[in-house]
Amino acid sequence: MTAMNVKHAPIPASEQSAAGSKMKFSQIIADPVVRERWEKVRRWFFLRESTYDMTNRCNIRCDGCYYYEGEKQFTKENGRPGDWRALMESEKQRGITYVVLAGAEPSLVPELCQTCYDVIPLGSIASNGFKRLPERVGYKIHISVWGNDDTSRRIRNAKDLLAKQIDNYRSDPRAVWVYTFTRENIDEIYAVMEALAGNGCRATFNMFSAPVGYAGPLRHDAGSLARTREVMLDILAKYPEHVLYSPYNAVAHTHRLGLHDLYACSYPRMNPSTDIGLGRSFRQYRTDLTWDRGVACCVPDTDCPDCRHYAAGSAVVTARLYRHGSDPEAFRAWLDYVDTYLAVWVMGYEKGKNLLDRPTPPPGFGL
Amino acid sequence: MADTKMILRVAEILIEELKLEDVTPQTFDPEIDLIDEMGIDSMDLTTVVLVLQDEYGISIDEDDYPKLKTVRLIAEYIEQKLNEK
Repeated sequence: MTAMNVKHAPIPASEQSAAGSKMKFSQIIADPVVRERWEKVRRWFFLRESTYDMTNRCNIRCDGCYYYEGEKQFTKENGRPGDWRALMESEKQRGITYVVLAGAEPSLVPELCQTCYDVIPLGSIASNGFKRLPERVGYKIHISVWGNDDTSRRIRNAKDLLAKQIDNYRSDPRAVWVYTFTRENIDEIYAVMEALAGNGCRATFNMFSAPVGYAGPLRHDAGSLARTREVMLDILAKYPEHVLYSPYNAVAHTHRLGLHDLYACSYPRMNPSTDIGLGRSFRQYRTDLTWDRGVACCVPDTDCPDCRHYAAGSAVVTARLYRHGSDPEAFRAWLDYVDTYLAVWVMGYEKGKNLLDRPTPPPGFGL
Repeated sequence: MADTKMILRVAEILIEELKLEDVTPQTFDPEIDLIDEMGIDSMDLTTVVLVLQDEYGISIDEDDYPKLKTVRLIAEYIEQKLNEK
């Protein structure tokens, strides 16, 4: 693991632009450090994702779970590997190069995960980490953490979950722990991160984004967003070797405005255009292998204005290259964001040092 | 109609930026659909747009990306922008 945040060299005066002014992209990438990072991340521009609910079952039940909201949880389950293979083959044919296996708990159907991996070998699996997936399923595995063990017991009805996750995935290069900040668990990250780092585990951050109609205690407010940002930056500084994140990630995901307001969400659910990009290629398949463009995004049934989800940001912020491409600081921030996203989502991709060690506002907005 | 020189230069930028193989500016079909037939996606197109903006000193709005479907359409779009300057 090479992820670190270091004091970067100041941006040369010749590359600095006045606020709001435009600068040529060619000038921005003339900096050798910037160019190297640009060349590193752009190799992965071929990734085209879609997501797949693998089963209706889960071995725990969490407050605020996205899966058990809306209609998708009642879909009939298709557990036939042959049908999944045929689906993956057709997905490959239409240009999908990256799969996200999610809902409800994919580790309960390892044979289907294997089938997907055999056809499309780039992808990730969202898991609670209770049950270890076989090593031959070579996807990234995102292990969800929602606070310390007391909190897990209370809102996930799961005892000693973190210890079990670490037992299952310690030293496994597939594993990234995804700590979801809620309004209630912000400072619990300190103990969780100590345990993860002590076991050589890597983590990234997610923000609880309320499902439609949810008004419970996990939903963020202005105070919890500000506190979360502060804590994210502190943890990032304390554990640079174990945290896959950047100051710009912290800004983008804890801003008073959600991802859609900041970046214009490009998933079909919020984007009617089918011309190019996610609006054209993204699908969210249910467990019966059907999909519905009207609800298609990476976290269906999330209340869009409240969406600060890490998976959504990985696509939505990355897609806004254009808006970051005329200001040297914004572009460095974007490179840090994309470098983080690739390290979290792609097997074998190693995060570099963040190019910026300070928060940068999203283009057109304040901090 | 975009002139040949402009079409060749746009093709050259596409080849260079997207690291396309087995094609030259002269053999690049200016009518081929970049999205449907060549599989170019939004990130590739944005990269090309950033380079075109530099080269021609124009601004290309994100909303206009769907108009940039072929080399010829891109060249015509640039010429229109240049005429508006």
